[in-house]
Amino acid sequence: MNNIEETLWNYIDGNCTPDEQKAITTLIAQDEAFRLRYHELLKLNKEFSAMEIDEPSMAFTYNVMEAIRAEHAEKPLKAAINKRIILGITIFFVLTILILLVYTLSNISLSGVSVSVKVPSGLKMPVIANYVTKPMIEGFLFFDVILALFLFDTFLRRKNLQKQA
Amino acid sequence: MQSKLSDIELIEQTLAGNQAAYTDLVKRHQRFVFTLALRFAKGREDAEEIAQDCFIKAYRSLASFQGQSKFSTWLYSIVYTTAMTFLRKKRVDTDSIDDENTYIQIENQSSGYDVNNAENKSRSFYLNQAITQLLPDDAAIITMFYKGEQSLEEIARALGMEANTVKVKLFRARQRLKEKLERNLKHEAKELI
Repeated sequence: MNNIEETLWNYIDGNCTPDEQKAITTLIAQDEAFRLRYHELLKLNKEFSAMEIDEPSMAFTYNVMEAIRAEHAEKPLKAAINKRIILGITIFFVLTILILLVYTLSNISLSGVSVSVKVPSGLKMPVIANYVTKPMIEGFLFFDVILALFLFDTFLRRKNLQKQA
Repeated sequence: MQSKLSDIELIEQTLAGNQAAYTDLVKRHQRFVFTLALRFAKGREDAEEIAQDCFIKAYRSLASFQGQSKFSTWLYSIVYTTAMTFLRKKRVDTDSIDDENTYIQIENQSSGYDVNNAENKSRSFYLNQAITQLLPDDAAIITMFYKGEQSLEEIARALGMEANTVKVKLFRARQRLKEKLERNLKHEAKELI
C-alpha cells in the first residue's frame, strides 16, 4: 500500500524517471484501484497546494524595522564616528603644534653662542622633594590600581561582547 | 505596494544603506516566515517573536549571503534554527518535539470547538487544523514544499538534512496529514449527527 502511494506521490511530484513515468501512466489507465488511489492523492495534492498561509499582525514590518533601527542606534558612538574625522583632528593638532614650534624657533636669535640664563634673585624655585610624601605616593598608587581595574573591566566587557556577537 | 525588484536587487540596495529596500524584503516574505514560525510555535505571539527575530538576524548577516541559494531558502534556514532555539528555550527538548503525544492536547482541543458552525467550515479550515496537529518538522516540510516554492533539495538545505531524508519525511508527513484530516472530518460529521 505504502509503496503504491510512494510511487504515486513521486509521479505527482514529477520525481520519476521517464521510464517510470510511462509505466505509472499505463498502470493508471489499466488498473482501476491504482487509478482511484491516484485521483485520491491528486485531490489531496490540490488541497495541500491551496492551503492558506497566515498573516502576521499589521505592525509586524514596522516592529522589525524599528528593532533594526534601535539596534543601529544602540551601537557605541566610538563605532559610529568616522575614522577620517579622528585623523583630521589629529592632523590639525599636529600641524598647529608644528607651526607654533617653527614660529617660535624662527623668532629665537641664536647670534650669541653663550647663553647665560639668570634666575631672578627674588624667585623661589619649588623643592620637588617636599611634595613626594608618603600619603601622596599612596594616593598615586591607589589611583593607579583603580585605573588598572577600570581598564581590566573594560577589556573583559569588550571580550564578553565579542563572544556574544 | 511591494517592490518589483528581485530579492537580490533589494539585498544589494539594503547593503548599500537603503533600509527601505529591506522593508520591501520583509513585506515580501513576512507571511510565509510567520506561517513557518507558527508551525513550530503554535501560538501567534510566539510565532511573531520568532519571525521578527529571523528578519533581524537575516539583516545582521545579510552581507554573508552569497546568493548561492535563493534568498528564501537562506531565510527559511534561519527560521528553522531560530524556531529550534526558541523551542529549546521554552524547555521543550528534542525528544518531546518528536513526541506526538505533545500534540494530543491540541488535537483534543480542536474537537468540539465551534460545533454549531461546523457546517460552515470549509475543508481548508480542517486542513489548517490538521496541520497544527502535525509534528513541527512535518508541518514545516509540508508548508515549505507546498507554499514556500522550495524543491526537496532546497528544503534539505534549509533544514540541514539530506534531500532523501526530506523526501521520506515529506511522504510520511503527507500520510499523517491525510489521516488527521480524515479523522477531523469524521469527528465533525459525528458531532453534527
